[in-house]
Amino acid sequence: MITQEKYRTTVKELLASGSVKMVIGYKPGSTPDRRRPLFIRTSEEADQLVLDSTCMTNLSGYLVTEGLLSDEKRVGIFLRPEGIRSINILAAEYQLNIEQIVILGFDSTGRDVRPLEGRNAGDFSGLLSEIKEKPVQTSKEPLLERIEKMNAQERFDFWQEEFSRCIKCYACRQACPMCYCRRCIVDSNQPQWINTSSHTLGNFEWNIVRAFHLSGRCVQCGNCDRACPVNIPLRLINQRMATEVLDGFDHFAGLSPTQEPVLASFKKDDTETFIL
Amino acid sequence: MAKIGVFICHCGENIAAKVDCTKLAAALGEHPGVAVSVEYKYFCSDPGQESVKKAIRDNNLSGIVIAACSPRMHEATFRKACAEAGLNPYLCEIANIREQCSWVHTDGDMATAKAMDIVRSMVEKVKRNNKLQSIEVPVTRRALVIGGGIAGLQAALDIANAGQEVVLVEREPSLGGHMAQLSETFPTLDCSQCIMTPRMVETAQHPKIRLLTYAEVESVDGYIGNFKVKIRMKSRYVDMNTCTGCGDCMTKCPAKKISSEFDCGLGKRTAIYTPFAQSVPNIPVIDKASCIYFKNGKCKMCQKSCQLNSINFEMQDEFIDLEIGAIVVATGFQVQNTAVYGEYGYGKFPDVITGLQFERLASASGPTAGKILRPSDGKEPENVVFIQCAGSRDPSKGVRYCSKICCMYTAKHAMLYAHKVHGGKTHIFYMDIRAAGKGYDEFTRRAIEEDEASYVRGRVSKVWQENGKLMVRGVDTLLGKPVTVAADMVVLATAMVSQPNAKEFAKTIGIAYDEYGFYNEAHLKLRPVESSTAGVFLAGACQSPKDIPDSVAQASASASKVLALFSKEKLEREPVIAVNNEATCAGCWGCVLACPYNAIEKKDIRDRSGRLIKQVAYVNPGLCQGCGTCVTFCRSNSLDLAGFTEKQIFAEVMGL
Amino acid sequence: MSEPFEPKIVAFVCTYCTYAGADLAGTSRLKYAPNVRIVRLPCTGRISPMFILKALQKGADGVLISGCHPGDCHFTHGNYHARRRWMVFRALLDFTGISPERVKFSWISAAEGGKFADLINSVTEEIRNLGPFDQYQQLIKETESPATL
Repeated sequence: MITQEKYRTTVKELLASGSVKMVIGYKPGSTPDRRRPLFIRTSEEADQLVLDSTCMTNLSGYLVTEGLLSDEKRVGIFLRPEGIRSINILAAEYQLNIEQIVILGFDSTGRDVRPLEGRNAGDFSGLLSEIKEKPVQTSKEPLLERIEKMNAQERFDFWQEEFSRCIKCYACRQACPMCYCRRCIVDSNQPQWINTSSHTLGNFEWNIVRAFHLSGRCVQCGNCDRACPVNIPLRLINQRMATEVLDGFDHFAGLSPTQEPVLASFKKDDTETFIL
Repeated sequence: MAKIGVFICHCGENIAAKVDCTKLAAALGEHPGVAVSVEYKYFCSDPGQESVKKAIRDNNLSGIVIAACSPRMHEATFRKACAEAGLNPYLCEIANIREQCSWVHTDGDMATAKAMDIVRSMVEKVKRNNKLQSIEVPVTRRALVIGGGIAGLQAALDIANAGQEVVLVEREPSLGGHMAQLSETFPTLDCSQCIMTPRMVETAQHPKIRLLTYAEVESVDGYIGNFKVKIRMKSRYVDMNTCTGCGDCMTKCPAKKISSEFDCGLGKRTAIYTPFAQSVPNIPVIDKASCIYFKNGKCKMCQKSCQLNSINFEMQDEFIDLEIGAIVVATGFQVQNTAVYGEYGYGKFPDVITGLQFERLASASGPTAGKILRPSDGKEPENVVFIQCAGSRDPSKGVRYCSKICCMYTAKHAMLYAHKVHGGKTHIFYMDIRAAGKGYDEFTRRAIEEDEASYVRGRVSKVWQENGKLMVRGVDTLLGKPVTVAADMVVLATAMVSQPNAKEFAKTIGIAYDEYGFYNEAHLKLRPVESSTAGVFLAGACQSPKDIPDSVAQASASASKVLALFSKEKLEREPVIAVNNEATCAGCWGCVLACPYNAIEKKDIRDRSGRLIKQVAYVNPGLCQGCGTCVTFCRSNSLDLAGFTEKQIFAEVMGL
Repeated sequence: MSEPFEPKIVAFVCTYCTYAGADLAGTSRLKYAPNVRIVRLPCTGRISPMFILKALQKGADGVLISGCHPGDCHFTHGNYHARRRWMVFRALLDFTGISPERVKFSWISAAEGGKFADLINSVTEEIRNLGPFDQYQQLIKETESPATL
């Protein structure tokens, strides 16, 4: 509660001083444990701000809304550490100018919410490095462990079961801050690489391709997972890929706003044990 | 509606013996979109090509598939035929049913089934081929020759004499390379410097040649006809514009005991020096590592002695950017370090020397003024042993290949020694005498018959010192018994190896090299002077060990290739390049990073009032080489590769 | 048992190294299994993970991807980019139950005709032992309309 009150004041100050034109935060949602985005332009709107442990959504995707940043004015945004990583990636991929973003950082343990020190992306580099070295979730999710222990056929069966429920609503894509493409590959029909009908086959292709496009870019904010109406554990695939690029290329997505995209760069001595 | 022609070639029996061509032609005739499906014995023959052209015209075909040998063989042939028949040449695809089908499979039915898949998938691909126009790129008519040895000089002079501009870059302070170090040359025994130095002077004075000595190539970008080259001019600390080369500075320089590279360590030089008396340009450089001023901050004797005030200790390296159309690489070789042969005592016994050191001893301009004197005590050796293949043809310690020149120069050394030291004795340990070349075998015979060189067929196992003599233990395999020779001097015919930085340098220019660091030609027999990179040619020993005539011949060949390139104003290139869909590009610039050629630029998209809406990727068609790495990176599929589009490959896979 | 299972394998290769290596196997008249269909591309950098998925959708039991050895790429470093993508994509396939045994990667130079023939034989044999990719083909059947052109 104290954090929320402090931040309400901060937001008002930021708006009053004119240092930001808008702050993106959270307000109450349809149920007590749900939050929806709040776009604060006035002091009154700031009073609606809610900041507690249920504020899970990674809001960074709103920053790349067409035209929002084109007037070169600054925008404030509430971000958890994953959200800060997201805007670093968006900056590294030239989707936004990091100088325009004022970060109102927060994190939570249990029900406690605490603010994070700093306002600019650069202020959090120490924090992000710490997370890279010592991931918060040290214990693996039991489900992920279970999948990793399966053989190929069991794994295929598991995902077939999961993906069979997919209805190709693309909520995962809409929720993901990294899915900023003007045209998604699934919507490209010349040629139609991915079956758009929601057969399991097309669902397989869609989810594999999305995971590939997120490799080295996903920060595991969980937006896709929460958005999925049929509860496919999408986070698991993305987690697995994050581990792959971290182990393989020492790449921790979103460590800095100038990080090179892992799949657009290479090292001559990258591992290649799998190549015959 | 597609009207595809399918032409199934028997290639005599090469395809027809395994693949049922009649069945294949019939089956493809039924395939949707195929208007013509025929077989013939040799489609590459004149009547074969004529029949293809006729079929294109008669049926107004929209694309053709030639099912025959590898596209690497006849793609060009049939594209040309298409063009002659009025069909865009890029509407022709080759289905490889020879190299990758009939030749490699034993079961006829399986081979036919595979051929069917291959042809069908190419039919599906060609249905989606686009008409492409070859790309014209301008040619900068200026050649860069890298290396100022005999090969580089020859190439530079040939190109310049034909009226084209040349920039010649030499890493050392003077032109000359290894040839300037040699005494006399085989098989005519004319003095190396006497034939070399006039070429050096001619090069330096040539109005079409810009000479950059003490300079190195830093980077090469661009492509054939349009290279961008950055040259580092290493600081000489001597002003080239004012220095007259009087040599006062060298006389005054107190650091006089520096081992001379040019004399292979047998002579001394000063810290401010020219490599040799006939250096071109005759302007000294300061060797920073040996200069007393640079080490201690005191001295400047050279500056005090220089009446023209040409010495400048503050000089910095400078960079020159050049626009270049073609590159001749003539970076030469080096002599293998014989330290690997501990048993021969090189480096341990001063009188065990390399062939190149012997050249310096025999050279009139060398440290002994042409007298053969042993390095240890300056006495004339009465008995000299030459050991051939000291490194060459020795996979265990040296290199696997034959260095090609050692048989000849060893015979020459024996002759020079015999001419200079009357009554001197020579023994030559050899594996084989390889003297193939004009006048070469006659030359080695002369060494044996007239100058009494004693050839011993066998290897040397050990050299040691005993009573002031070098004892050489070897075996005479023709007599089948060991021999020991007491010698005053031992000369090792060391291997010619690639320059120490040859591989890194190859990467700088972007050419391929072999396991030894010699540069690869595009084709060993048919394209021996072209490198694997278009517009980069090879001359001399950087490609493989060569003697002077071979180096000169290759240099002239390279020059003629350069001149052929410069004979046109524009080059035609295959239009296999990436194109971007600006409507869907999100401007993430991953493609910019992924592109190996810096061919992707950022392009501003503005509205009518000039307001910037967004930035998108733009592929420069002149720079793009068509690898498609960017296409694969592009998440939104905005980029595509002409000739290998997403649609084409999708169809190809689906046609299998 | 009836006839032995003949797997369908699709290979995506670069034109400068592996395609030329396959040609060399041909000119040297080496013999190898007829189960592989080759798709020629300019460079391994052009080989998109999509191609692999499409080959599987077309009913391939195995996929082979091959190009120039590191350092040999005609386009200087297309294969280095490809190698990273492959490593990531391979892990992804593995995690979703598409066995890495079915998707093979190799470096074959223009001079390695022998290696090409040997590899085709060993990959064919391995895929033969794995059997048809029934699980995937079941999915293809489900769609009732296999991919159209």
